[in-house]
Amino acid sequence: MFRRNTRRGNYAYTVTRVKAKKSQLIKEEEYNKMLLMSLPEISRYMSESGYQKEMSELAGRMSGIDLVEYASYLNMSRVFTSILKASEGELYTMVSAYLEKWNIWNVKMILRGKSFGLDEKNIKEDLVPAGSLKEAQLDKLLSLSTVEEILTEYSRMDSVNIPSDLIAGYMGTSGGLSVIEDFLDKFKYARLLQAIVPDSRPTLMFQDYIRHEIDLVNFSTIMKLKAEGIHGEANVMEYIIPGGKQIDRRTAAQLANIESVSGVSSEISQMDFYEAVKPLLDAPVVSIRAVESALKRYDMERAKKFSHMNPLSVAPVMDFMIHKENEISNILAIARGIQSGLDTEVIKGLLVI
Amino acid sequence: MSAHEITPNRSVLLDLKRRIKLTKGGHKILKMKRDGLIIEFFETLEKARQMRAGVSSDYAAAIGKIAIARAVEGDISVKSAAYALQADHQVIVGSKNIMGMKVPKVEATGSMHTDIAHKGYGVISTSAYIEEASVAFEKLLETLIRAAEVETTMKKLLDEIERTKRRVNALEFKIIPDLREAERFVKFSLEEMERENTTRLKHQKKKGEAAE
Repeated sequence: MFRRNTRRGNYAYTVTRVKAKKSQLIKEEEYNKMLLMSLPEISRYMSESGYQKEMSELAGRMSGIDLVEYASYLNMSRVFTSILKASEGELYTMVSAYLEKWNIWNVKMILRGKSFGLDEKNIKEDLVPAGSLKEAQLDKLLSLSTVEEILTEYSRMDSVNIPSDLIAGYMGTSGGLSVIEDFLDKFKYARLLQAIVPDSRPTLMFQDYIRHEIDLVNFSTIMKLKAEGIHGEANVMEYIIPGGKQIDRRTAAQLANIESVSGVSSEISQMDFYEAVKPLLDAPVVSIRAVESALKRYDMERAKKFSHMNPLSVAPVMDFMIHKENEISNILAIARGIQSGLDTEVIKGLLVI
Repeated sequence: MSAHEITPNRSVLLDLKRRIKLTKGGHKILKMKRDGLIIEFFETLEKARQMRAGVSSDYAAAIGKIAIARAVEGDISVKSAAYALQADHQVIVGSKNIMGMKVPKVEATGSMHTDIAHKGYGVISTSAYIEEASVAFEKLLETLIRAAEVETTMKKLLDEIERTKRRVNALEFKIIPDLREAERFVKFSLEEMERENTTRLKHQKKKGEAAE
C-alpha cells in the first residue's frame, strides 16, 4: 500500500541489485536470434534465460503462446515485487508509486471481467500482481460482485479517493467503465508526482521525467481522439492528465482545438519529442500507432539517459523497470507475431529496442 | 391424368381447349419470370462477388490488425478491452419484393462505428493498436451486414429460378403435351362417335327402306 516515508532510501543496495538484474535482460542480438525461432524454440529459450521457474510452474496447465505470455508476466511481477521489498524509505515510496500502474491494471481487469460476467478463476488468470497490492488483497477484490463494491474496497485498500459521483455516474449510465478507467489513469500520475519529493537533483530529474511522460501520454491521447474526429476543448480536456511539463492546460487546449491530425506538427515544434514524431506527422497519412510506438521509443531513450546521469538514485531502478516491461512487450511481440504468421520485418518494426 | 381416362364429350373438349390456352399463357409468363430472375441473379451475383472481395479484404485487414495488437499489447490486454466494450449494435431484418419473391432487407440501426470516447474502455490507457483493431472489426461488421443481404438474396434467387424452371419445364414437357394429347383423344373420339352415328343412321335408314 502507498505510504510516504521521510527516510532516505537504500539507493546503493537497491541499485546494485537492479544493475545485476539489468545485465540479465535480453539483448538486441538475442531478439534477432529469437526472431528466427519457432514458438517451441522461444519457449525453450525462455526456459533457459531467466524465466525457467515461471515456465516450469505454469507448464502443467498451459502451453504454447499462453505459457510464454503468462510466464513472462509472472516473472515480471516477481521481479518488481522483489525490488519493492528491497527498497526502503523514499525509494520505496517512489517505486511503490511507479508500480501503482499495475494495481490499476489489475483493478481494471477485475472491473472489466466482472462487468462482462466472467468468473473469478478466469479473471484471476489475467492479473499481474506486480504492484503493491498483495495477492490476498486482489483475491478480496475478486470475491466482490459489483463494480461499486470493488471500487469502494479498492479505494479503502490503496487509499484512493474515488469521487462518489463517479461511481454514481457509472451506476446511472449504460455501464461503460471508461470514466472510471480514465480517472484511475489520472490518479496513477497524480500519486506518482505526489510521491516524488523534489529535494535533490535526482528526484527533481525524476519528477521532470514523469512530467515529460505525462506530456507523451497527453499528446498520444489528443492524437487518438483527433484520429476519431474528436477535437475541441470541450471534448478533449477531460482526458488530459494534469502535471505535464511542456503540455500544460493551455497548450493542451490549443492542441485539442486543432481539427486535423496533420495540423498538430507546427504546434509541437518546440517540444522535446518533436523530432521523434516529426517524420510521422509530416507523412501523407498519419498512423497513430506509429506515433505511439515512436513516443515509446523516445521515452525508453530518455529513461536510459536519465539513469546514466544519476547512477545512485531512483533513476536506475526506474530505468530497469521500464526496460523489464519493455522486454516483456518484445518477447510477446516476437512470440505472438510468429504464432500469427506475421512477417519478420513487421515483427521487427513492433519491437522497441 | 391419362388422356384415355377422360370422358370424350364436347364440354370436356371445350374445357380442355380453355385449359390449354390458360396453361400456355401461364407458361409464357413463367418463362418471362425465369428470364427476369436470371437477369436479376446475374446483377446480384456481381454485387455478391464485390461483397465477397470486400469481406475477404476487410477480414484480412482486421485479422492482421488484431494480430499486431495482440503482439504489441499482449492477449490479456486485447481480451480485457473486448470485455469492456459496451457497444450494442442492432440490425433490422425486413423484406423487399423482387418479381413476387420476398427477399430479406438487412439494415443496421445506426453506424457500426463507436468512437473511442464511447466504447466503454478508458481513452487514456487504450493503445492505438487495440483501437485500430477495434475499428477494423467494426468495418468488417458493416461489410458483413451488407454482404448478408446480398448473399441471402442471391441464394433465394437461385432457389426461385430453380423452382420456376421446374414449373416451366413441367408445363412445357408434361402438362401442355398431356392436355394436347387429351384434346386429340377427345377430338378423335368425337369424330369416331360422329362416324359411328352416321353409319348407324345409314343402317337404320336402309332397314326402314327394306321394311317398306
